[in-house]
Amino acid sequence: MIAFLFRRIVQALLVLLTVAAIAFMMNTFLGDPLATILGPDSTAAQRDQVRIQLGLDRPLVVQFADFVWRSAQGDFGMSYRLGRPVAAVLAERAPASIELTIVGVALAVLIGIPAGLVTAIWPASAASRVILAVSLFGISVPSFFVAVILIWVFSVNLGWFPSFGRGQLVTIGTWQTGLLTPSGWRAIIMPAFSIAIFQIAIIIRLVRAEMLEVLRTDFIRFTQARGLMARSIYISHGLRNALLQVITIIGLQFGSILAFAAITETVFQWPGLGYLFLQSVQAADVSMMSAFLMLVALIFVTTNFIIDCLYYIMDPRIRADGPMGGHA
Amino acid sequence: MKTYCQRLALALLASSALSVSAPVFAQSSDTLRLAAQADAGTMDPHAQNTQITLSIQSMIYEPLVMRDADQQLIGGLAASWENVEPTLWRFALREGVTFHDGSAFSAEDVVYSITRAKAPTSQFAGFVGNIAEVRAVDDMTVEIVTTKPDALMADKLTYVLMIDSAWAEANSVGQPQDLRNNQETFAVLNTNGTGPFKLESREPDTRTVLVRNADYWGETADDFERVVFTPISSPPTRIAALISDEVDLVLDVPSQDVQRLESTEGVKVLTRNDTRTVFFGFDLGSEDLEYASVEGNPFLDVKVRQAVAYAIDAEAISQRIMRGLSRPTGMVISPDNLGYAEDLDAVHPVDIEKAKALMVEAGYPDGFRVTLDCPTDSYVNGDQICRAVATMLAPIGIQLDLNLLPRAQFLPKLWERDTSFYIMGFNSPYFDGTYFAETVLMTQDQATGEGIYNYSGNGDAELDALVTEAKDTLDRDGRAEKLKAVYSWVAENQLYVPVHQQLIVYAMRDRVDTNVRADGWFDIRFATIE
Repeated sequence: MIAFLFRRIVQALLVLLTVAAIAFMMNTFLGDPLATILGPDSTAAQRDQVRIQLGLDRPLVVQFADFVWRSAQGDFGMSYRLGRPVAAVLAERAPASIELTIVGVALAVLIGIPAGLVTAIWPASAASRVILAVSLFGISVPSFFVAVILIWVFSVNLGWFPSFGRGQLVTIGTWQTGLLTPSGWRAIIMPAFSIAIFQIAIIIRLVRAEMLEVLRTDFIRFTQARGLMARSIYISHGLRNALLQVITIIGLQFGSILAFAAITETVFQWPGLGYLFLQSVQAADVSMMSAFLMLVALIFVTTNFIIDCLYYIMDPRIRADGPMGGHA
Repeated sequence: MKTYCQRLALALLASSALSVSAPVFAQSSDTLRLAAQADAGTMDPHAQNTQITLSIQSMIYEPLVMRDADQQLIGGLAASWENVEPTLWRFALREGVTFHDGSAFSAEDVVYSITRAKAPTSQFAGFVGNIAEVRAVDDMTVEIVTTKPDALMADKLTYVLMIDSAWAEANSVGQPQDLRNNQETFAVLNTNGTGPFKLESREPDTRTVLVRNADYWGETADDFERVVFTPISSPPTRIAALISDEVDLVLDVPSQDVQRLESTEGVKVLTRNDTRTVFFGFDLGSEDLEYASVEGNPFLDVKVRQAVAYAIDAEAISQRIMRGLSRPTGMVISPDNLGYAEDLDAVHPVDIEKAKALMVEAGYPDGFRVTLDCPTDSYVNGDQICRAVATMLAPIGIQLDLNLLPRAQFLPKLWERDTSFYIMGFNSPYFDGTYFAETVLMTQDQATGEGIYNYSGNGDAELDALVTEAKDTLDRDGRAEKLKAVYSWVAENQLYVPVHQQLIVYAMRDRVDTNVRADGWFDIRFATIE
């Protein structure tokens, strides 16, 4: 167990270091942060002075070592664009993204699982065909398109929901939540739904596939033979077995929604992490971008680590080292 | 992808424009809900020189000198001023002005603010670079000594907002943009100005709320109580928010939306041509053209530059790419500038045969290949204009390799003069062609600041002499004459190839009205709500 944990932690650290290197190299690819700091109308003397002030004149290796050292301590420096500490800005924007992700995933689960069940239990019904067709649409249509349609219908035409922002916020400690006010809920519905639509499609297909597989297994046949009620077979035997996969996928999706809802956040002017990232890219705000990438890497590495540990506990095959440990 | 998405969105919005139902979002004549593409970068008045930052900050902070609705200079925090000697300016400050925290505005604050604006991390250093000394003569009088005669001193001070010295010192914000100190800089989120509005709350990238300053010394066109400013970066959302009456006034309206908004009930559009002129520039400082497949530098030959001008169809660019929302121009400065001359502004004729002949005369019958540097995020439809020009230059044998790049990569290339052919937009901030002449046309000299935006690397003693003569003429009318000589020279030598001035477009609910300034600076003093 300890050897396994140790190996996993070393791997995780290697991943983080690689991401740090990539994040750092963006410096070279995305252009000069001085263009952001000083604007187009700066003089060469001014630029040299600020370059030295920020240590941008040092060799790249030294800058990288310094960057890794400070990042490890949670110090990501100042955002060039906002003139504020990066960590503070990230902490400020995280609640918006987390709330959006939670509501989006909740919508996906609430709609996706029942719909998936329907398609598994009555595969030939008209309802199933409609659900599967719609879910195909959900997978193929980009989320910004859904977002724009939603704005057109519900903001411009019907005037039910606001087209941008988070509505009225309530501050609890350092957490600003929109989930405690009616206007906050009105504001979150459209962005959450446009995030959820892809997840709904995935969940429907996953639940359906898993259920069909479980329903074919011998123990379900036995329960049927014992004359149990259909509902109890589907729910407590079929679904319970299918849910393990669904939970794993949702867990993994959670991280990616949190990190990559950038387009949806931009369309709805949702002040979360993804929107922050896009704004930072436009302004070549390198310190913010590298911190964001590191944060995303950390989220993924952590979720994967937890999932690995859970599997380790649940699945004895993984404990065997060597040829058997061929999982990724 | 993005433009496709936008177009689709707008088409959808267009079809729905007439069926707007009663909105559920609060509107009132007490609050102006303002939206723009980007947020103000900071509340620190000397940190970031962008249009939107200045527009928001100038609701809170004020300069010594302001402009009226016709863009003429009027007294701001200075009641009057005079140019005592060529290098000495004296400002009489306005009596009875207080900052939002109640402390009195005095000469000390002026000295402090101007000194602060000179810091290396200030984006306003250019406006105060000529100031050798600023001194308080008494509580209500300030004298400014310039390093050389500067006809534009008062114009430049319209950009330098006044901050309270005691407040700044108490909150240790003596430097704008303190990037070394890893602390939250107080002035980024907090303010203490003299302006008509006080900052009530601010969430960067989300919302900025301002509330009226009851003790304001000046006058405003309306007395609405609040301004709620929301950046909405996605264009379809921004326009949807206006149509659904969630915002009252939108500052950045995409050109493709204008026609539709004009026919939308409840919404009106105000336009005006920008002072920014978009033009093409050549590398004129190198013996060998760096990014080209040719010996030597063909652009050094005026005939080649003229050929380019004959081949580029500015009218077509305006009609097809800009959808009529630009003003094709033959001059590098806009009509709002001193030194503008109508006869020089005639759009350059298109004549491919003539252009070909000029190329032959110049010794390039087969043309050559050169890279055009083109920022994708700086000018309206910038990338499309560059693509169109590539097509327009092909018939005369100039093959363009387009180097499309973001502004953060484009600017450093210009700074290093690391370009062979580029597109650029230049905004004359003072409505005076002197500034363009001094900073773009003159030979580059880091010490004096002359030619700091002369990215072509051109150096011509004759032109320098003409510009020097003009800029040292402090009398406006005299200067206007001299500037005409400068811009005639520029046209004759085809130093640049002007394309157009973009249009500034504001869209608003019918009940809202405002003044549109040619420099894009939104001035809250002129906004009204019925």
